[in-house]
This record gives sequence, structure tokens and C-alpha cells, in this order.
Amino acid sequence: MIYLDHHAATPTPDAVRLAMGEAAARAWANPSSTHAAGRASRELLEAARERVAESIGASAADVVLTGGGTEACNLGIRGLAKGCARLVTSEVEHPAVAKSVDRLQGDGLEVTRLRVLKGQPPSPDELARHLGPQTFVAIQWVNHETGTILPIDRYAKACQEHEARLFVDATQALGKLPIDVSALGADAVALAAQKIGGPAGAGACWIRRGLDLEPVLDGGSQERGRRPGTPDTLSMVGFGAACALIETRLAQRQRVAALRDRIEKSLLAQGAVQNAGPPRTGTVSNLSFPGWQGPLLVAALDLEEVCLSTGAACSSGLQEPSAVICAMYPDEQWRAGSAVRISLGMETSQGDIDLAIASFERVLARRDA
Amino acid sequence: MSEMKRVLVAMSGGVDSSVAAALLREAGHDLVGVTLHLWDADGEQQVGRCCAPEDRDDARRTCEHLGIPHYVLDERDAFRKHVVDPFVAEYQAGRTPIPCVSCNRTVKLTHLAEVARRFDATHIATGHYARLERAADAQLRLLRGRDDDKDQSYFLFGLPQRTLERLLFPLGELTKSEVREAGRRLGVPNADKAESQELCFVPDGRVNDFISRQGNQTQSGAIVDSAGTVLGRHEGVANFTRGQRRGLGLGGGGTRYVLRIVPDTAEVIVGDESQLYERKLSATDAHWVAGRPMKPFHGEVRIRYRHRGAQADVTPRGDGFEVRFDEPQRAITPGQAAVVYRGDEVIGGGFIA
Repeated sequence: MIYLDHHAATPTPDAVRLAMGEAAARAWANPSSTHAAGRASRELLEAARERVAESIGASAADVVLTGGGTEACNLGIRGLAKGCARLVTSEVEHPAVAKSVDRLQGDGLEVTRLRVLKGQPPSPDELARHLGPQTFVAIQWVNHETGTILPIDRYAKACQEHEARLFVDATQALGKLPIDVSALGADAVALAAQKIGGPAGAGACWIRRGLDLEPVLDGGSQERGRRPGTPDTLSMVGFGAACALIETRLAQRQRVAALRDRIEKSLLAQGAVQNAGPPRTGTVSNLSFPGWQGPLLVAALDLEEVCLSTGAACSSGLQEPSAVICAMYPDEQWRAGSAVRISLGMETSQGDIDLAIASFERVLARRDA
Repeated sequence: MSEMKRVLVAMSGGVDSSVAAALLREAGHDLVGVTLHLWDADGEQQVGRCCAPEDRDDARRTCEHLGIPHYVLDERDAFRKHVVDPFVAEYQAGRTPIPCVSCNRTVKLTHLAEVARRFDATHIATGHYARLERAADAQLRLLRGRDDDKDQSYFLFGLPQRTLERLLFPLGELTKSEVREAGRRLGVPNADKAESQELCFVPDGRVNDFISRQGNQTQSGAIVDSAGTVLGRHEGVANFTRGQRRGLGLGGGGTRYVLRIVPDTAEVIVGDESQLYERKLSATDAHWVAGRPMKPFHGEVRIRYRHRGAQADVTPRGDGFEVRFDEPQRAITPGQAAVVYRGDEVIGGGFIA
């Protein structure tokens, strides 16, 4: 099996599996309990928090652990919106952000959605035109479907100049770009373990010290009252172990990008159409294939044992055309229906890519057979 | 039949297609399960509404049980265009359409043939109760399913030879109870699931309500007798079909039946049951399974799915055919399919004009 869907989820490295196995044996108790069993869990939980914090240049005290990236985005957006009157976001956000914003809009916030036509992110000047006090910017760093990199550091400067608040969805940036929240100038940053070899049930929201973060769930006072519920120590240990591998992951960037370029060049030569060029991460290629529905091509390649996807995975088993590609190409709707996302990770080898190219050649030839 | 490699199984989530897949799996075939998502039910709360998430789940569970891949493909646009829109238009024109014929021909099997090609599958299997047999002239013949009560050959007359060449009907030789038994024996998760509805996208049978939910008006109008006397009013022509007795809302004066619907005036003409019997029909848009017969012949003609079939002379004419029954038939209904059989064999069919 050749796995080319790393933007959806990443294989579990041995170090993560081992750490979680050990935690399952040792740290089953409630980390809030004051007895020895509870302390054993607490110790592992806090060590994991340290590792997550270290990987983004943060202090552990400012990291709120959550049950995944979607919860981190909900918390960072809804938890910081108090006192804001306007919200600026992009048209290509992940549903975790887009739907949180929709909810705030329903509550009366005025919302502006910046366009990302043809994969070109809005300029900091364009963003600045919409900024002011009581403005809240909620925006992604790296697009989940195209890898498009938004100039977050420059957005952060603009936000500071205009006294606007900034939430960054960094779920796809973690492990793909170096992150240093101490220098970034954002107010909150959401992370997900699943994109860096950790379990899907772990995420985190970094929050600038001194800001009030309102919980989105009602319950106990865990995580300093910012995220109720017994922390999932097991998953957090996996998250911490995955964060410890981020340097290794980042060191593979050039090699992975070269493999991405290789498969992309081959597919473009076979008639595929490019959906997003630079600026983007080297981990992903988003292409549309004339004469194919994306889900059909994904299924045909699955039968060849190549795993990839049409875009954001969806729970119903029914794939809607990509909202991201729709928004990037409003005048070329066919692209979204025919789009396929090929995403690579540090485990991807040259051999994988050669086999994937051969599988694409076999499958694509059937269109006109 | 060409060499069999991979087989695509059309999986609705119902018992029949699940057992069809299980039987092929037992026989050792390389299978891939495909569920077409055709329609999002709206405003219908009953179990049995079509393409419900639980049906997709049932199809997926069966495929997991059999250890075969399963994919859901979205064909809602094609279903609306080729099945639902014509269905609505037919009712508005005062006819009683049979959408399963065009669904099988235009949406399901045509599309699945294309999917099969893209999946490098040589064959397509469905849970239909029908059989295929190769004749001496090398063409395939479409035959009734062994189970008289479940036989679905009526819906399949429109399939061209090139589609038949790729089709497998694993249930053709079985009865429904044998199918359920096979399902239990093979551990199919939904072996005891209830039958699906005949008209999958209108499970409550209220066509007029369905049509108005689709944003269409069906004309209300008068209920009149053959002499033109107004006997009452009705809420929409789509509530009526030829031969219908219930739902007319006419008090007294003996039992009356729908004889005819006049779309231009939205009049529903009613009368005695004896007026429903006719000897002749014309069918259009005919398809002949193994080629158009050269001359008139005697056969058996079914005028609706639940019709037993009646002896008749059949005369091919233009792109249709004429039928003269030996005995008058009750409620020959425009829009329904007239399907011609000789013994178990489907010779062809068309739509009643």
C-alpha cells in the first residue's frame, strides 16, 4: 500500500506507538487525582505538554490541550471572540474554522471573507484594509487541500498595528513549517497531533498569556478552567512524542518536496491541471483531472493500492466537491469536482512515488480506453 | 461471456444486493462494492426512504464482512435529470410513469458500466431477480427470474446487448426465501432487513406531495363523468392513475373509477369499472433485447409490474409496437411499460402511449 494522504492523517511512528503503549500501562488514572496513581498520569501529561510547547517556542502554561484540531479551532475562535464586533477570515478555511465563524456570524458578528483566487493568498495590505480595534482575524496558516502558505507573520504585524486580534489555524503548518509563537505575534494558535504522527484525539490551543479564553464546553475546571473534561493522557503522550519528532520531520522537507515535484510533473504531463502553485508547502499537490470525477479516480487508485483523497475527509462516505477549489476557481467549477489531493510525508520514499506514478498511468489510460 | 476478472457489485444496502455480493464472494470472485447515492430524501420520515445514510452503512458493513472494498459514488445530478424530472413531467402530463426502467437503463447500469471500466472490472453484478442466457445466435436473452413473485425482468427490457454482456444476476435462479437463507448462511449483516419500496424516492406513495415538494405545481381541477357532468374537485392530477377507485372523494351513486386524465384541463374523468377494459395498446420508444422482430407474433404482454401478463398479438411498428390482447385488459395505463414475453424470455418492451 502506498500512502499519499498525509494531509488527512499521518502514520504512527514507532516512538509514538511505544510512548503510548507505556502510557496505557502506567497512566490510566485521572491526572486530576492527588494520589500516587493520579500523579503518575499527571507527570506524563505535563511532560507531553512541555514537548508540545517546546515544538512551537511556547511556555507550557500557555498550552491548552484539546481533543483534536477541530476543538482547538472552536476554542480559539469562540473563546476569544468576546468583545469583538467584526471578524475577518478567508474563503478557503477548514470547516473547523469556517463553521465556527458561521456561528459567530449568526450571533451578530460582521464577517468579511477574503478571497484566495487561484491559490494566491490575500496580501497583508488587503488584510489591513479590513482591520481595526474590535476586529478579530481567524485564518489558516497552511491550506489543508493545496498547501498554500499564507503570510501569517506579516498578517500578525498588521493585526498588531491595528490592535486587531489574531487566531491562527496552524493544524497543517505544524511539522511542515518552523513555528515560533514567541516571535509570531498571534493571540492564539491551534494545533492537531494527527498531522504529525500523533493520534486524532489530541490537539492544542496556544493562547497568549493574559488573554481570557472562554471554554466552549461546560464542565470541570481542568486546563485552568479553559477546557473541562478529564484530559486524555494517553493521546497527549502520543502528541508529545510526535512533537519530539518535528525537527526530524522538518529536516525531510527538501527531499519530500522533490518527490512531490516529481509526481506532479508526471501527472501534469498526463493531462492533469494544476490547482495551486507557490507559495505552498512541498508536501502536497492538488490537481484536477479532466474527464474524471475526483471520488471515482480516488477509488480507482485505491483499487491499485494507492491511498489519496479528493480533499477534506468527510464522515458521511459521500464526498462533496471541494469547497476550497470551488472558492479558488469560482469561474471553473469543473475543477472542484475533478480535484484530487496527493499529500506526502516524511515516510514517503522514491519507490512509493515511482509506483504511484505507474498506477496513475494505468488508471488514467482507462478514461479513453 | 468474456473472461471474468474483477466484478463490480451494485450495493443498495438492501438484502438482495448484499446476498448477490456474498454469493459471488463465496464463489471466489474479486469484488468491489459500489453504492450509488441517487437522492437525498426530504420531508419523508419513514424507514425505507431511498439512499438513506443507514442504507449506505448497511452496504459498507456487508462489504466489510465480505472483505471487499466499498465506495459511494454521487449520482444525484444524473438521477434528478434522467429519473426525477421526467417522472414529474409525466405526471403533469396525466400519465403514470415507470421510473425504474429509465433509472436502470440510463442511470444505474450505464453509469456502473463506465465505473466498471475505470475500475478495470470486467463485469457488473446486481441483486435483480432475472436471468441471462446465451442463445444459438450468440446474443444474450433476458429471462424472468426463477421466483415468479420477485421477478424483475419487467424493469430491465431496455438494456442493450453490450450492457447485458457485462451483467451478472446471481439471484436469478433463487427465490426470495432462498436468498434470505443464503444471507443468513453467509452471515450477511442485514439478511432480515425489510423489503425496500417499489418507488424508492416516494416511499410514502404520495406522488402529489412529492411533486409539490420538488417545487412543482400539479393542477387541481374537476372530477367529471363521461358526459361532462362535474361530480367534484381534486387537488392535483398526480394523485390519480387509471383504474384507481380510492381517493376520489365522491359520495353516493355507486363505485367509480378513474378512466382518463386530461392534462390540458386537469380534468379527471371517472366511470364504471367496465369502461376500463380495452383490447389494444400502442407502445413507443421500444427496445428489443435481441433485435427487432421482423413480423407480427403472438406473445404474452405485461402492462404493469404486478400484471400477470396476457396473451396478445404483437406487431412491431416504427420505433414502437401495437398490441391486441386475446382478452380485454383492465386499466391499460399511459406511461407504464408494456413488456413482451415469450415463455420466460423478454422479447422487448416499450412505453404505453
